[in-house]
Amino acid sequence: MNEEELIREIVALRKTLREKKDTLRRLQRDKHVVQECGLTNEEIGRYSRQILVPEIGVKGQLKLKKSSVLIVGAGGLGCPAALYLVGAGIGHIGIIDYDEVEINNLHRQLLHSEESIRVSKVVSATAALTRLNSSVNITPYKMQLDSSNALGIVKQYDVILDATDNVATRYLLNDACVLTGKPLVSGSALKFEGQLTVYNYRGPCYRCVFPTPPPPETVTNCGDGGVLGAAVGTIGVLQALEAMKIILEMSGVLAGRLLLFDGTETLFRNVKLRPKNQNCLICGDNSTIDKLIDYEEFCRAKANDKNPGLKLLKESERLSVKEYHKFADSSATSHVLIDVRSHEEFEICKLPNSINVPFTQISKPNGHALVEQVIRSMRNGDTRIDVIVICRRGNDSQKAVKILKGLINDEAVNIRDVIGGIHAWAKNVDPTFPIY
Amino acid sequence: MMDGESRDSLVKILFFAKARELSGLKESRAKLPANISYQSLLDTIIEKFGLESIRDSVILSLNEEYLAANGTLNLSDQDEIAVIPPLSGG
Ligand SMILES: [Zn+2]
Repeated sequence: MNEEELIREIVALRKTLREKKDTLRRLQRDKHVVQECGLTNEEIGRYSRQILVPEIGVKGQLKLKKSSVLIVGAGGLGCPAALYLVGAGIGHIGIIDYDEVEINNLHRQLLHSEESIRVSKVVSATAALTRLNSSVNITPYKMQLDSSNALGIVKQYDVILDATDNVATRYLLNDACVLTGKPLVSGSALKFEGQLTVYNYRGPCYRCVFPTPPPPETVTNCGDGGVLGAAVGTIGVLQALEAMKIILEMSGVLAGRLLLFDGTETLFRNVKLRPKNQNCLICGDNSTIDKLIDYEEFCRAKANDKNPGLKLLKESERLSVKEYHKFADSSATSHVLIDVRSHEEFEICKLPNSINVPFTQISKPNGHALVEQVIRSMRNGDTRIDVIVICRRGNDSQKAVKILKGLINDEAVNIRDVIGGIHAWAKNVDPTFPIY
Repeated sequence: MMDGESRDSLVKILFFAKARELSGLKESRAKLPANISYQSLLDTIIEKFGLESIRDSVILSLNEEYLAANGTLNLSDQDEIAVIPPLSGG
């Protein structure tokens, strides 16, 4: 039997198994005994360890069963949050994500497995959650949440979890929650750090606290800055906890307070936030926003954390990887290749003879001086010097060229960048090069 | 000095998220006038630690309480000021 036949057979067997399990579950459910307290024997057994907690009890368990939670983002926050909510027996969970599973997700997005690579995240998440607790009704939404669809979905749920990865969707979700009167459990994380609070619930909304979106060039996402699974997971689990406390109508909900988590020292700080801002554009007394706006325009950034595909330079200021390959091989002219990725990325892989000056350093005196020193050392009379800048995907390299051109006023120095960076190099020149 | 107006306080400043990245610091100390308006406090911190790019998108807290943008503060030694930009990844 060859590989393809075997894969086909496994897929068919899995499908048969799933169908038989569903049939079995239906048969068993029909036999369920419902006790006077309102729970079935199966529910009593399954949730007994949390029903025993005084804050929950039978009443609390029934509240959880009748409630619904919308999780926006099936990533590093959404996966752990969903696991605990489904485990606890929330009646209905909605999960939104437009994206597919990639191998670089698996270290933190633990609902997905190697088998789900290239599969839609919401499909993969639904399958994993159903395996954990088949009695929870799960609605997957494979879509990008935007101004046209957000209100219609948000209003169907009791509590909303912001488990997204970008600024534009955070403002969109905030406004949608204010307009529909839903509590928003907002989590975020990067590297070893995390933040958590509950907006629009007996306190301020996101805009009350952060009325102005950060300039896009100051926003670091997980794809660039990196993130630890256990750090982002900590925040995701706490989001599930806050959602349950809201459903259980408990008094200690993290509203009007911002939790700052620093995983490097395992410190949790609680900062008391401002009360609701009477002048808030969306939740204030005289709010001027009464419907969802264009959040990508408001934040000047795309509503995802993918490659922004910047175009800052003219064609003549750029080289394709193939052009650079030829150019470097036949390098009669003296040239210098400056790699502006972080030290950590440079350590993963690098092109021969490249010099690492991280983008964050390039405009600072030290980094700038290093580049000038390299150029000076190559200078031989009036010979022309080519400075080529490379990064991961060809965005930072363009910004770096702009900065260097402003700093180095020398006719003989020709500064250009490599289109698509080392990603393009891996794709079009050297297939043995890693992609991350 | 007899004059209370010009007294200085030695405060601790904590940096989070992008503020940590830009300043290269988790925390620092700074001598600041004990009586200071929110705006000059913000100006001083932004300038001293190279945080111009996130000036309009951070909140400040004093001893774990949000600082309103129109207030005047009375700082003591050992006070803890935090510079908190929003995190947006996940
Ligand atoms: Zn508000």
